[in-house]
Amino acid sequence: MLDKLFFYLDFPFVRYAIIVGTLISLCSSLLGVTLVLKRYSYIGDGLSHVAFGALAIAAVLKVSNNMLIILPVTIAVAILLLCGSKDSRACVKIRGDAAIAMVSAGALAMGYLLMNIFSSSANVAGDVCTTLFGSMSILTLKPTDVYLCMILSATVLVIFILFYHKIFAITFDENFARATGVNVSAFNLLIAIIIAVIIVLAMNLVGALLVSALIVFPSLSAMRIFKSFFSVTIAAAVISVICSLTGILVAILAGTPVGSTIVAADILVFFISYITSFIRNGRM
Amino acid sequence: MYKLFTILLFCIFTVSTSAKASTNTHVDIDLTRMSSTMVYTMVFQMVTDPQKYVGKRIKMKGAFSSYFDEETNRRFFGCIIKDALACCSQGLAFELAKPRKYPSEYPSEGSSIIILGTFELEKEEDGIGFPIIKDAKMFR
Repeated sequence: MLDKLFFYLDFPFVRYAIIVGTLISLCSSLLGVTLVLKRYSYIGDGLSHVAFGALAIAAVLKVSNNMLIILPVTIAVAILLLCGSKDSRACVKIRGDAAIAMVSAGALAMGYLLMNIFSSSANVAGDVCTTLFGSMSILTLKPTDVYLCMILSATVLVIFILFYHKIFAITFDENFARATGVNVSAFNLLIAIIIAVIIVLAMNLVGALLVSALIVFPSLSAMRIFKSFFSVTIAAAVISVICSLTGILVAILAGTPVGSTIVAADILVFFISYITSFIRNGRM
Repeated sequence: MYKLFTILLFCIFTVSTSAKASTNTHVDIDLTRMSSTMVYTMVFQMVTDPQKYVGKRIKMKGAFSSYFDEETNRRFFGCIIKDALACCSQGLAFELAKPRKYPSEYPSEGSSIIILGTFELEKEEDGIGFPIIKDAKMFR
């Protein structure tokens, strides 16, 4: 088993997958805690569907670097959903969960429709399948993709560390944060942009349909065991990275789809932490 | 002296024959020993970045497939593999070292085959090359 693992680690694309997987899972778990506490868990799902729709547009337009379309579109929709839904005047009559559901289903349907009508690929079903479930995308990255992921992940990490206290204040009580002089609107905008970037990156790791699992599960697992914001954030990051690495290695060794194996590892850890919490506290 | 020369000649012949035999069975990349995820990724790498693999001896297991190209009036044979979700498939074309009659001497479409041959880039008239396993042996 170990011989096989070391043999596989000789291939550069396996090393790329491990580097990118670690970075993406780290970033997604950090913002995941904020999203879960702000009751925006489902936004990851909605935005990943938007990213899928943007990917379809990029494929139709035959854009060589599809990030040029996916990233701006996803960021724009993230700002609309996260910032617009806070302000009733900005998002006239469709608010909150209805807006997320509408955008999510609409983008998914339009993306699939565009890919079917205009795609030049001989295997449209395969292209759609691998984008939605991320069976192989993490193992087919080029060095440029890895560098881009490293730069974006480093940016997300630096922003999170620099504005940790502000993000903490906004997560729990926006009114209190506003009263203490924090520019809540600007920070909500920043969080929306970061989340969009993470989701676009995470699509490579687990596919569009499973992105929300990467955001939600590590945070929920950490919340079963720890209580403070800081300890939950650190624990979520550790859990997320361990689950991603385990998932990637198991998928490579056992020949299972990468995305669903990572999510299966996340689910397993969630149940373990749930049982641990139950034993320790005697309640759910 | 004549005897010594004969023995020497025999030794050289034997060594060169065994060297040839070992070259034929030598494998640089054995895809049959890898997991399905790794096989799919390796084939993807070979198709998207073929220059790295030119001249390497490849052994792979997959499903037999054939395709007749009317433009070039040539029949292509392929070894097809599927990804872990079985929704995507890709493969490599191969050319047998000893040509056989189609279809009587070939397996049926979709049958499991093992191919052992040398990875090459075959140039087309427009200058664009496509990857193909040449000088191949096919096992069922």
